[in-house]
Amino acid sequence: MALILSVLEQGMIYGILALGVYITYKILDFPDLTVDGSFPFGAALSVRMIGEWGLPAVLTLPAAFFGGVLVGMCTGIIHVKLKVRDLLSGIVMMTGLYTINLWVAGTGYVPIFNKETIFDNEMVNSIVPSYLFQFKNVVIIFLITMAAKYLLDWYLRTKSGFLLRAVGDNDTLVTSLGVDKGLVKIVGLSIANGLVSLSGCLYAQQQRSFEISIGTGAVAIGLASVIIGTSLLRKITLIRVTSSVIIGSIIYKACIALAMYAGVSANAIKLITAVLFLIILVIGMDKKRR
Amino acid sequence: MLKLINISKNYNPGSVNEICLFQNFNFTVEDGAFVSVVGSNGSGKTSMLNLICGSIGTDYGSIMVNNEDITRQKGYIRHRRIGRVYQDPAKGTCPSMTILENMSLADNKGKPFHLGRGVSKGKIEDYKVLLRSLNLGLEDKMNIQVGSLSGGQRQALALLMASMTPIDFLILDEHTAALDPKTAERIMELTEYIVSEKHITTIMVTHNLRYAVEYGSRLVMMHEGKIILDESGEKKKLIQTGEIMDLFNKISVECGN
Amino acid sequence: MLLLSGIEMEEEKKDMIKKVSVLMMVVITMVMILAGCGSKEGYSIGISQFAVHGSLDNCREGFLAGLAEEGFVEGDNLTIEYVNAQADAGTAALTASNFVTKKVDLICAIATPSASTAYNATMNTNIPVVYTAVTDPVAAGLANEDKTSVGNVTGTSDVLAVEEQLGMIRRILPDAEKIGIIYNTSEANSVSAIADYKEKAGAYGFEIVESGVTAMSEVSLAAADLVNKVDCITNLTDNTVVSALQTVLDEANKKNIPVFGSEVEQVRAGCVASMGLEYYELGKQTGKMAAKILKGEVQASALEFEIITEPSLYVNTAAAEKIGLILADSFVESAYECFDEIVVE
Repeated sequence: MALILSVLEQGMIYGILALGVYITYKILDFPDLTVDGSFPFGAALSVRMIGEWGLPAVLTLPAAFFGGVLVGMCTGIIHVKLKVRDLLSGIVMMTGLYTINLWVAGTGYVPIFNKETIFDNEMVNSIVPSYLFQFKNVVIIFLITMAAKYLLDWYLRTKSGFLLRAVGDNDTLVTSLGVDKGLVKIVGLSIANGLVSLSGCLYAQQQRSFEISIGTGAVAIGLASVIIGTSLLRKITLIRVTSSVIIGSIIYKACIALAMYAGVSANAIKLITAVLFLIILVIGMDKKRR
Repeated sequence: MLKLINISKNYNPGSVNEICLFQNFNFTVEDGAFVSVVGSNGSGKTSMLNLICGSIGTDYGSIMVNNEDITRQKGYIRHRRIGRVYQDPAKGTCPSMTILENMSLADNKGKPFHLGRGVSKGKIEDYKVLLRSLNLGLEDKMNIQVGSLSGGQRQALALLMASMTPIDFLILDEHTAALDPKTAERIMELTEYIVSEKHITTIMVTHNLRYAVEYGSRLVMMHEGKIILDESGEKKKLIQTGEIMDLFNKISVECGN
Repeated sequence: MLLLSGIEMEEEKKDMIKKVSVLMMVVITMVMILAGCGSKEGYSIGISQFAVHGSLDNCREGFLAGLAEEGFVEGDNLTIEYVNAQADAGTAALTASNFVTKKVDLICAIATPSASTAYNATMNTNIPVVYTAVTDPVAAGLANEDKTSVGNVTGTSDVLAVEEQLGMIRRILPDAEKIGIIYNTSEANSVSAIADYKEKAGAYGFEIVESGVTAMSEVSLAAADLVNKVDCITNLTDNTVVSALQTVLDEANKKNIPVFGSEVEQVRAGCVASMGLEYYELGKQTGKMAAKILKGEVQASALEFEIITEPSLYVNTAAAEKIGLILADSFVESAYECFDEIVVE
């Protein structure tokens, strides 16, 4: 039971990250490495707010999101205005964010064990009966993840969202429609990194600590989730793409947890992840080529 | 009314690769005119279109639209009053979005793209009527992704999308060149229909001399950044395809082609 | 071309295979979880070690020895599952969560990130966490200022014997002025240790020159640069630098500058001397604490964390010879343990 709960919690938290990666990688067609920096940014901001500043945990959610939006905006400006290539803009931001995240959090490891988090505070503890405590986390994460997903779905059906979908597909059309495609890209990057940062915020509160290295490989996990979700669940039309991305994240985490449970050594897990990733990429790309 | 006044443009000025595109180039298009532009490759036809649309800037000279100087205006702002159809059918539409979504996008040209609904339910009927006029059966396929349509269907849709909202000019950049002869005919008929229905000022660049002669109220031939033939109205109607072909060959021979 | 069409044909098949394997994995999980719910013989302990290096390995071995002395022998009445996180925080978290799922009787966490993730994972359970090699349990949120525990967690700390180390360096190098320290800027233990060093160095007539890195790959450059500026180098319990010890030694040896370690393994590997902890003993102490908890004599929450109060002097004469440093005989004889060769593993 603990394993299932853990997989669901991690799967959904990283599912929000996957939503962000979905926007940049699939919709904007922009491989965004900023994610490795914006994920810990949300985490760093949250622990600073909860720990040192002693603010109520619920404020960390909008703070992390808008913080991530700012980060994404910077990446966008570097790419659009300074004309740096997509991959390199992300790398520049990711590198700079290492220092910024250390500075925001205060140091490379910040525990918040005895502080109130979004999962563990007066209000929540008073509503939930103690025999259901182990489900607290997963329910709250589920609510937040669903909120993020539905908001994103709604946004992609608005006029502004249509532009976002258009710019990754055919940016000439966006110019033909009389819209500055650079601006649309910046908006897309902002929303995506806002989601990633939100994901980092939840992660830090679930782990009750911030560690500087949690961002390493975040974009890879996000990409894996997006690709697993979209490739495996493509045929099922009832499931929206955003849901399939979250499910992909849960499946990915489940595979890793199972491998470890079965006794596979930690070293081997990375290789297995890489192979799994490759297989799915090949299957996924093949479908695209049709 | 469109006026290109004393346009000069060089690529790679001062270097070994210097190319002079235009020098003191002048061109005027009256409202309601349908201009066909022909010329060999490198004559400057597409560059002229790009100048008008703002994809490339001018070194000297100015561009006036209805007595407003738009020389310094950014490309995407100019496009709000311009409809452009490209040679490549893939450039005029979004392949991963449905026909309905594409039309909704095009319908919003010139207006702010805010957080309102992307597709207005009330407009769906209007779109259906527009699609019906294409006679391609697309009105029954409104929820199909555009990527799965054929080149001709996509180009027809692109044409429709380019002309849906009120525009000053319709720019057609060899828009039938990538289509098979039958589909190309259909598209040209469609073009004629839309242009005459909505009285849109049109500039069409084409390699097809027959189309240039048959369609439009004015025929312009360009060579090396200059206009060497410009006939309109009655005189234009008298021109035969053969004559244009001869002129074409003559200048091609002079260039050593 | 053939390969591509082959892939396309089999695409549908591959799709089916993928879906079936996912389904199978879910089924296997359920079976394993249900199976895991059965009762076990004896006790089970999960050891979560953060990285691979001598000090931490010594801790682990000491831990097992301490348990054995109290009657808990691996294979007899004790099953041990040992997972090394290879310095990846994510793996450490997963390991902890895994141990909780397997309902181990106790988790032994070696080094701060492992301790932190273990504590987090066991918060709503009855599983006690006993940590070791955590330099500053208070800063890590595992203990209060007065050393009492914050929850079902306790252990031992490898806080550095800064004063004693400084005194030792002064004895060996009476004329030295500058001591260099390389550390990973993101390891909180190291940041607080540097502050400690700076505070106390003045009294011994030293100036501390620090060089921060963010990853093991940067240690080489940092070391090459630092050896030009200082008279000697001393180590902290910084996981990054200790893992890259050979690199530091290589650069220091080029300039004949001594490197002082923070514990015995480092001295064995080529550091000249150390007023250090015997990590094996620290581990043993931890093992005994764990034994008490397993026996039910005391709860983890009631135990304050412990430290080793008496550091011991370790000397490596071969290392000193290599850089032309002469050590007084009386000094060498006063050492707790003296090595006369450099053992590089």
